[in-house]
Amino acid sequence: MIAGAWLCLLAPLGGALAITLLGESSSRRTAAWISTLSVFVAFGGAVASFVGLLGRDHEEREVVTTAWTWLATGSFDVGLSLLVDPLSVTMMLIVSGVGGLIVLYSIGYMHGDPEERRYFAYMSLFVFSMLLLVQAGNFLLLLAGWGLVGLASYLLIGFWHERPAAVAAAKKAFVMNAFGDATMALAFFVLIWQTGTLDFETAFEGAGGMSQTVVDLVALGLLGGAVAKSAQIPLHTWLPDAMEGPTPVSALIHAATMVTAGVYLIVRAHPIFELAPSISDLAAGLGAITLLVAGLVALVQTDIKRVIAYSTMSQIGYMFLGAGLGAYGNGMFHLLTHAFFKALLFLAAGLVIHHLANEQDIRKMGGLRRAMPRTYVAFLVGSLALVGIPPLSGFFSKDSILASALASGGYGQLLFAAGLAGALLTGIYTFRLLFVVFLGEPSPLVHEHDHGPAHGEGPWTMTVPVAALAVLAVVGGWIQIAGIWHPFGEWLDPIAVGREHLALVEPTVTQDYVTSALAVGLGVVGIAVAWMLYGSRKWAVPRFAAVQETLEHKFWFDELYDAIFFRPAVFVSGLVRGGIEEPLIGGSISGVTLGAREAGGALGDAQTGYLRTYALAIAGAVAVLVVVFITVQ
Amino acid sequence: MTTTLIVLPLAAALVVWLLPLPGRAVGTLALLVALVEVALWAVAVAGFGFDEGLQLQDRQSWFSDLGVSYHVGFYGFSLWLVGLTVVVCAAAIGYALWVNRERGRAYHGLLLFLMGSIVGVFTAQDLLLFYVFFEAMLIPIYVLIGVWGGPGRVRATATFVIYTMAGSLLMLAAIVVFGLSQGTFSLVDSGTSSNEWVFLGFLAAFAVKAPIFPFHGWLVAAYRESPPEVAAILSGVVSKAAVYGLVRIVIAKFPEPVDDFQVAILAFAAVGLVYGSLLAFRAPDLRSVTAYSSMAQMGLIVLGLFSLTELGVNGAILQSVAHGLVSATLFLLAGMVETRTGTSAFSALGGMARGRPALSTVLMTTGIIALAVPGSVAFAGEFLILAGVYDVGWGWAAVGAGAIVLAAMYMLRLISAVLHRAPGIDVRDEAPDLRAFELLLVVPLVAALLFLSAWPAAISEHSFSIGSSAAEATE
Amino acid sequence: MLGPDVAWYLIVSAILFSIGTAGVLLRRSPLIVLLSLEIMLNSANLALIAFARLHGGHDGQIFALAVMAVAASEVVVGLGLIVAIARKRLDLDVDRLRVLRG
Repeated sequence: MIAGAWLCLLAPLGGALAITLLGESSSRRTAAWISTLSVFVAFGGAVASFVGLLGRDHEEREVVTTAWTWLATGSFDVGLSLLVDPLSVTMMLIVSGVGGLIVLYSIGYMHGDPEERRYFAYMSLFVFSMLLLVQAGNFLLLLAGWGLVGLASYLLIGFWHERPAAVAAAKKAFVMNAFGDATMALAFFVLIWQTGTLDFETAFEGAGGMSQTVVDLVALGLLGGAVAKSAQIPLHTWLPDAMEGPTPVSALIHAATMVTAGVYLIVRAHPIFELAPSISDLAAGLGAITLLVAGLVALVQTDIKRVIAYSTMSQIGYMFLGAGLGAYGNGMFHLLTHAFFKALLFLAAGLVIHHLANEQDIRKMGGLRRAMPRTYVAFLVGSLALVGIPPLSGFFSKDSILASALASGGYGQLLFAAGLAGALLTGIYTFRLLFVVFLGEPSPLVHEHDHGPAHGEGPWTMTVPVAALAVLAVVGGWIQIAGIWHPFGEWLDPIAVGREHLALVEPTVTQDYVTSALAVGLGVVGIAVAWMLYGSRKWAVPRFAAVQETLEHKFWFDELYDAIFFRPAVFVSGLVRGGIEEPLIGGSISGVTLGAREAGGALGDAQTGYLRTYALAIAGAVAVLVVVFITVQ
Repeated sequence: MTTTLIVLPLAAALVVWLLPLPGRAVGTLALLVALVEVALWAVAVAGFGFDEGLQLQDRQSWFSDLGVSYHVGFYGFSLWLVGLTVVVCAAAIGYALWVNRERGRAYHGLLLFLMGSIVGVFTAQDLLLFYVFFEAMLIPIYVLIGVWGGPGRVRATATFVIYTMAGSLLMLAAIVVFGLSQGTFSLVDSGTSSNEWVFLGFLAAFAVKAPIFPFHGWLVAAYRESPPEVAAILSGVVSKAAVYGLVRIVIAKFPEPVDDFQVAILAFAAVGLVYGSLLAFRAPDLRSVTAYSSMAQMGLIVLGLFSLTELGVNGAILQSVAHGLVSATLFLLAGMVETRTGTSAFSALGGMARGRPALSTVLMTTGIIALAVPGSVAFAGEFLILAGVYDVGWGWAAVGAGAIVLAAMYMLRLISAVLHRAPGIDVRDEAPDLRAFELLLVVPLVAALLFLSAWPAAISEHSFSIGSSAAEATE
Repeated sequence: MLGPDVAWYLIVSAILFSIGTAGVLLRRSPLIVLLSLEIMLNSANLALIAFARLHGGHDGQIFALAVMAVAASEVVVGLGLIVAIARKRLDLDVDRLRVLRG
């Protein structure tokens, strides 16, 4: 089991190193397969850890293994330690499993790109970083994984680096995440001085002794990092831009894994968040706001990937909502199912983009069902799961979160309402996408690329992962049915610190049923609305100019940040350069040389050239000395 | 052993200056000497007892009536600084060999002389000896920039010399007063002093050398006009002489003035950190960005030193080594870009990643470690420093954390400006990727960085021992 | 002891010294300046001998011999300069000869 954990972590790193060192001497195909196999080996390691944990008793399902001391000075030391417990193993399985399918898919998608090797090296690096993040046994190592994941994201978003838009998007993602890294680091400093360590266990114990303000600050710092990484409001503007990267990247990093790291952090650090209820409420609130805003913006997006990106933002809002309210198990459950159906949607979208020679604008699409029937089915399955129609996976997970919200008192009920509104929006924008792309008459573009049914919808490397994910999207939710059987919840219970069950709230059966009914009902209404607007086109799409503008500009966040952060930074920098640096450098040197020259000139005036002046000076000096020698003893 | 490490390059410099060898042969000889130095240093590391204080000492009395002796030796942290020196100087000499500098004998001799004096600075345990080596560092730099530098070299050299000399003269006065009042010039034998003027005299010299805002006027011009490998040594190693001086002399010998002035110095260091980052963000070419980034990093290191906590000081040493390697690599890469395109200005560069995987990988790796991505050694150092300075006040740590974001911005800008988007005006398709010899120069530096990233405890756990007076002074 | 008190010798020496100083400072011809310098040197010699007589030792007299040697050398150099200047047909006027100035 321990070996499994190390294997899981190191296999992708080995893959990345192998591809880098082999360089051009390996064929592009070989590099692709090295990467894919390394991730599948990691999955094997994760399964081994999973099996190992299953074989242990409930209380013993937490194993820490340390390789060497990473950073140490005097009394403070941080080891290179991995933690194998139910939470980390769950994440390991998701990351390496879904990751493996997506890397396999990339083989077909990226085929022909001249820089395939670099792509696969980066993908392996990413999987390694994400595994480091979820397997870390202390906060510093988690932060290391956190940062490396941000790095891999930068490298992959900016993969087609000759496109200025891609380069800009990569930088934006990295800088926003760096901000989150900074707040997390500050939280860790507090922890170090308060508890003397960054190991999870010891830090959680020590957190109990901290004052409320201090705990709140620590939780806030952690939340800052989580919000940045998971693209929640207010640090969300990087995610839509990140769609500049290749579609498998969007699927892996910006749907299934990296952006869910924030949720993982909250669940992992739940003892701290429980001690800081105001911050937990803030997290839930931000989740609720994000799910609404993202849902609204998704209604007007015309790029197929951006719709799905905003959908991701919205769904992670649900996860934050759940985690913030203490429904950690449900939040993780939704993370799991979301990984399946969101990756499915992205990969299916990738099949569409691939088929249409890199066209991503949905206004140019339509009627694709005839040319790509199986992709249509995959997309339909993913959409149904996303909207939460039973018996697909999304139904079980999303509704469990909403039920927990309902059971959490007044504030929770407010968020519950938001969540329901979100369900309606989800129905509308998801099926808007499906109908616009796949139904109706084939658009001119689709006709162009229609090579007949014999052509197939993509190579097996692309279709097999999609099929696998479709199956998972259907059955993935059957591991937890609210009110009836809870194997997933029980599996995660051991990570609770100081109590039996992980979840802070347990909804009643009535609440479960009511929630499900409402959520499904609203989802179906959403689908119906989408059908009327975009499917059968019986209604005209309402267009209110001001609303449309705001939605299209994504609530003006980008413009706001540009004005608050970027422009002032440029301005201040220019001011500093002109106002301080140039005068300082120029001035000090000319100041010194001018001063030296003037002093020299002044002294030079004493050299009159007259002999008599010199003689007088000597005589005068002698006279003074005589007086001095006589009077002073 | 220590004397060998100091004398070997100095003697080799003499040999190189006197023997009439042709260009490439001189360079090869110099490189061999440098590699032997590295090997000797490795031997010293292998046998070093990190818990035992000052070791590998050599002591000879010099002016016994004044208490001046030739006393050299290693502490844990100075061992790492010397390691940094010999590795970076070896890479620099290799670069000079590769580029085939004119008047090679003079050039390589000067580089060797520089290497020897820097090792002397890091190992000197007597104040007058320290001063001799400190000044001896100046002469080769002055000649190297002044003769082999870029178009603005005369002004740059004059500025550099004036600033440094001003600081050094103040330090000389301070040394004399301190030595006479203590009765001895030996750092090991003398006690502490609470004289603020003497403290300020020392501080002046190190503030110029680091540099600490606002004594940085010499920095940008010097880094821009010097040959790339000299800039590598300057920013990577010479600036760390200030670190050594601050730890070994200022903090260890002046506990009360350090306490009194702590907040002021932290303020200047923090200003330098932010100021350097802001200017790096807008700097128009590779060299200036690296120069301002250097200034910012030195501000961070001084911040760590004057936190006077175990975390902060150890972090400062770790960061010194990390930054030294990073900065040296960046300058060497800048040189390699300049030889291919004739410029380091961003407006003329771009798109160099296409068809040049080696350059792209090395520059990206170095740049990403430079911006202290979590997981890297620069991050470990920065984290320790900020954790340490948090103890003085949370505001300092917040400023430092903000600088992390700024560093991300300016470093990514540097990387993109050189490698990404469309090829710049001066980037020709024929400009080749990094050749094997060039890779041999930078890859060991990058490999060292990656090794330290995997195991930063190598340095942070082995810098200060219980017995060293420097450690006693901190905390 | 024969002769007047040592004090009178010192007074003469002082008078000679002042005359010499006045000459150096006030006269314009370099030749006269040299002459005045000689007077000053001789006054110093006189003082040295007087003190030697006072203390009974011979140190002063020996030192006076040294002074004479120095005076002689300096006169040689000075006269040589003056002859060189005269040959160049420049004014032998100290106030006019001021090329070496800052």
